[in-house]
Amino acid sequence: MRAETLKGHLDGLLLASLEAGPRHGYAIMEALRAGSDGQFDLPTGTVYPALRRLERAGLIQGTWSEGGGRQRRVYELTTAGRRALADERGTWREFSAAVTALLAPVPRPVTP
Amino acid sequence: MTSAAGVEAYLGVVAAGLPGPRRARDDILAELRSGLLDAIEARRCAGLPARSATEAAISEFGDPRQVARSLRPHLAMTEARRTALTLAATGPVVGLLWTLAALASHVAIRHAPPWHWAGAPPLSPAAFPAAGTAILIVVIATLATIAVTGPLTRWLPASPRTAATAGIGAAVADLAILALLASQLASAPATLAPFPVAAAAAASVTRLTLARRAAGRCLAIRSTLT
Repeated sequence: MRAETLKGHLDGLLLASLEAGPRHGYAIMEALRAGSDGQFDLPTGTVYPALRRLERAGLIQGTWSEGGGRQRRVYELTTAGRRALADERGTWREFSAAVTALLAPVPRPVTP
Repeated sequence: MTSAAGVEAYLGVVAAGLPGPRRARDDILAELRSGLLDAIEARRCAGLPARSATEAAISEFGDPRQVARSLRPHLAMTEARRTALTLAATGPVVGLLWTLAALASHVAIRHAPPWHWAGAPPLSPAAFPAAGTAILIVVIATLATIAVTGPLTRWLPASPRTAATAGIGAAVADLAILALLASQLASAPATLAPFPVAAAAAASVTRLTLARRAAGRCLAIRSTLT
């Protein structure tokens, strides 16, 4: 899937990937790839600017921590982040339901 | 090419495209480094030799110039925020020092505009309104910058130009007050209390220099945003 298609949803997906618990940047990327069956294959370099943006907005918080013999910057959701994720989900449900309804093939009227 | 050399070469290209505060840059580069090492490790675990693992990881991360480009807004906001927070912290100190200097000097401060004070510097009618206007602009631009580079960043656009405006405003305010002091020194030096005045003047000269430089940095980093 092209990066452009994904762009508007990246923030929500990043937040969702942190819902289960704290993760570092590379693990977030792997979760997106695995969770989408390889459909979301963004350049990994793009996830770091997005994470910094979410951190500035107060939705996630990053801290350096030692793990596996190396320092990694680990992110976790803040309270505001959980709220934003819930909002994002609600918006997506409404949007996708509407698009699904509109894009569904219309059954041809049976001609008598 | 060893893994370390490949990673550092990639980070070198990213670093070349990152202006801004050193600590913030180093922090980002360290995070990218740890991510690249994770990516290499993942491929090594999958059985790739070091060289191919490194090449694959680097290509997975994408064009380093593009990575730098998308990080620049973050660094610009860090720079702008730092400028605004410094101005917010130093402004009241400089103001307090000048107030003390005025109180210690033989200038009769009354409930009247400063240019009607007995013994006020000759330049008062011009310098006080100029300094007042500049300070008002500094306060607004500083608060705006602190707001939009923090949690409000999701809803409001941020530009390092606002922080630059605050820095220039602070420099103008300092210049106006120093001009006021110069006019008093030229007309009635005996009215001035030497130590408090020297302390306030030193604070203003320092802040003037730093604010001007910070404004320059904000404008420079703004010019790198596309």
